[in-house]
Amino acid sequence: MSEKSRNERAQGLRDRLNNELQRMSLDMCVKCTICETACPVSAVNPLFSGPKFVGPQGERFRDDEPVDHSVDYCSSCGTCSVVCPQGVNVAELNSLARAVMKAEDGVPVRDRMITQTTLMGKAMTPIAPIANAVLDNKLARYAMEKVVGVHRDAPMPTARTQSLHSWLKKRPKPTKQPTRGALVYFHGCAGGYFEVEAAKKAIEVLEFIGYEVLVPEQGCCGLAEQSNGLFEQASASVRKLVKQLRTAGTDLTIISTAGSCTGMLKHEAHQILGIHDEELLDVGTRIREISEFLMELYEADELPTDFQPIEMRMPYHAPCQLKSQGIGTPAADLMRLIPGLEVLDSGATCCGIAGTYGLKKEKYETAQAVGKPLFDMVKENTDGLAACDTETCRWQIEKSSGVKTIHPIVLVHQAYGLGQATA
Amino acid sequence: MKDAVVIGAGLAGLTAALRLARAGKSVTLVTKGPGGLHLSQGTVDILGYAPDRVAAPLEAVGSLPAEHPHASVGAEAVGGAVSWLAAELGPDLLVGDPARNVNLPTAVGSIRPTALAQPSMMAGEVTGGKTFSVVGIKQIKDFPADLIAGNLARSTAPDGGALTARSAWIDLPARKGEADPTPLTYARAMDDEAFAATFAKAVAAVAGKADVVALPAVLGAKRLDVWRQVAELIGTDVCEIPMPPPSVPGIRLYDALLAKVRDAGVRFVQGSRITGFESDGDTVTSVTLAAAGGPRPLTARSFVFAPGGFESGAVDVDSKGGITEPVFGLPLTASDATPLIQSVYWGPHPLFEVGVRTDAAGRPTDAGGAVVHPNLYVAGGLIAGAERWREKSGDGVAVATAVRAADQITGGSR
Repeated sequence: MSEKSRNERAQGLRDRLNNELQRMSLDMCVKCTICETACPVSAVNPLFSGPKFVGPQGERFRDDEPVDHSVDYCSSCGTCSVVCPQGVNVAELNSLARAVMKAEDGVPVRDRMITQTTLMGKAMTPIAPIANAVLDNKLARYAMEKVVGVHRDAPMPTARTQSLHSWLKKRPKPTKQPTRGALVYFHGCAGGYFEVEAAKKAIEVLEFIGYEVLVPEQGCCGLAEQSNGLFEQASASVRKLVKQLRTAGTDLTIISTAGSCTGMLKHEAHQILGIHDEELLDVGTRIREISEFLMELYEADELPTDFQPIEMRMPYHAPCQLKSQGIGTPAADLMRLIPGLEVLDSGATCCGIAGTYGLKKEKYETAQAVGKPLFDMVKENTDGLAACDTETCRWQIEKSSGVKTIHPIVLVHQAYGLGQATA
Repeated sequence: MKDAVVIGAGLAGLTAALRLARAGKSVTLVTKGPGGLHLSQGTVDILGYAPDRVAAPLEAVGSLPAEHPHASVGAEAVGGAVSWLAAELGPDLLVGDPARNVNLPTAVGSIRPTALAQPSMMAGEVTGGKTFSVVGIKQIKDFPADLIAGNLARSTAPDGGALTARSAWIDLPARKGEADPTPLTYARAMDDEAFAATFAKAVAAVAGKADVVALPAVLGAKRLDVWRQVAELIGTDVCEIPMPPPSVPGIRLYDALLAKVRDAGVRFVQGSRITGFESDGDTVTSVTLAAAGGPRPLTARSFVFAPGGFESGAVDVDSKGGITEPVFGLPLTASDATPLIQSVYWGPHPLFEVGVRTDAAGRPTDAGGAVVHPNLYVAGGLIAGAERWREKSGDGVAVATAVRAADQITGGSR
């Protein structure tokens, strides 16, 4: 606990919940129930009474009364806000309500630990083989479940022996001169430490099509802290990241392979954490998810499309926090430009993991039930691989379906003939 | 650049996008939420009242005033458009004849004319001499079986015959311990054959002898033949009665149409509003998507605008009664709502007829008939001249004007 008392913190959050502009969106709710039909959690768990019930419906009567504790079952996937035809900020209101609840009732130590993604990367990379062995060890995972509350079967990242920045320092300088100017690359915690191959390939693709890629030192966006109700920590993280990304230039496009972290910078930090800084707005408007960026080039006839064929079926899942950016599914559009690649949309709402939700022992079964239609779809339609834009979703799909799941940029990398084939 | 951007994913937008894709056009379908289908009956009304109950909707279209959107499309084209949609969706989802209305019971026991309905509803056609057993589920609050049966029993069938109806209840939770389940919860449970069988057994035990057992429309979300399974197990015809939202039959239509649209290669962008447009002279060059992280232009050669009507916020009435169309600022048939709202709740409200005038091609025009944007077409509830909820014409207007817009863009080629 920081210097602020629990009560002060709870009151501050409650004031935001009660008074901010987004509360006005409550009155736009016409009780059409569309959000409830789309909610992946209430579909599988009757203990969650649904986004409308705990949100626009209950919130009106709440004022200073305690928050309905069933809001804790909300996974923060954001689907309710995406589908709301009236523009109610359902997910944002429920995230705030959960933060109020956690500020009043206290936050489990587990939730403080699993949100420290950069720290995990920094700690695990130097001892990768040991860390991976521990995370693969049944006894260790059993102890972790009992002591910490992380489910023994929940997906865990695989530590790598080399971080992205270590690779960047050691690799030979690119020989091709940039023809299109510079871009800033945002890799996220996972790209820096766990999904290093995808991050390297993203850099190589951007360099191949003619960009200089600047990779400033960067920390965590705070999304995991935010979805666990730790708003102060999350705000500090995202503010620090914004400063770091701006050190590379204040007029360059920022490219990201971290789908959900992109959403944090584009809108969630503003709408959920209530950060209204100019710097955040600047980064939020300059950032592009990598497939979104490449499809913008394609629409402008500026993307080389002399792709080598990849003959296989590719089940593709668009993650919730990419869908909530309201840009469609650019990775599916991009992969469809590769000859031979048969991209099959999962049609599933959510994989269940929702960042850290599906790791928690009391949420694990709900998360698995949420993801089951997706896991089945992937198993039925795979030729050995599946694709998805965000890290924790990939780990969830891979762990629960047994199918290796990659970032779409890996396929673009291969189709440009860069390096060894994955598919 | 795409051939077309379609704005709105209600029945009109989905129909336009599918028709364009079937003609080989590249399409982006962009929408804030799903359109009205989740709130609909899951049937296709063409014309139910004009103002008396209509038996032959296409014939009745011929006598509508010239300002009515159906009149502008024409009875033959309306019938053709609805038949095309029915063929796309297939007889597991839509059956019936656009030239003839069927009369179906509603969730308050009134009798509602519609043109196409789902096969699970058809045994409920209200004809003289029929005996209904209306069976409710205790856990579902929006299916008042006693009220439905009571109202049917005191009604005369449209053919003049008498009706018999009684009610019964079953007590069968879909999920243990759930206090207030939605119809969708039950429909999802019915996708499991074993649950549907348990349900049928419970219904058979209370339904008694009747020509048809009327049930809440919860017979399967994905599995479309649950009604057949239940009817076989009960040994009597069954009919689904559509319920207040969330509407399972409406969701079935939405899911099927969206899947077809996506399978046809349409780019689908959900969750952001269209807030404006760019133009070159009168020609629309792009619409502005208010995505997270800033505006994104969606460029295309043609645009189909299918945002719905007042109820969707597509036509805005401000606190002083000023009426506007906020995206393109299109000319409307009225600018002041004050004199258009009547004091009688059930009376006609001319406000609901306010909308965009179009030329014969479906392009918005000003009061003098001049086309506003040569490559912009409107479809569905935004078009002026129909009080859709009163006439029961909304679905037909949506489908017919969507097909018209798509065919104008493709030059009529299929």
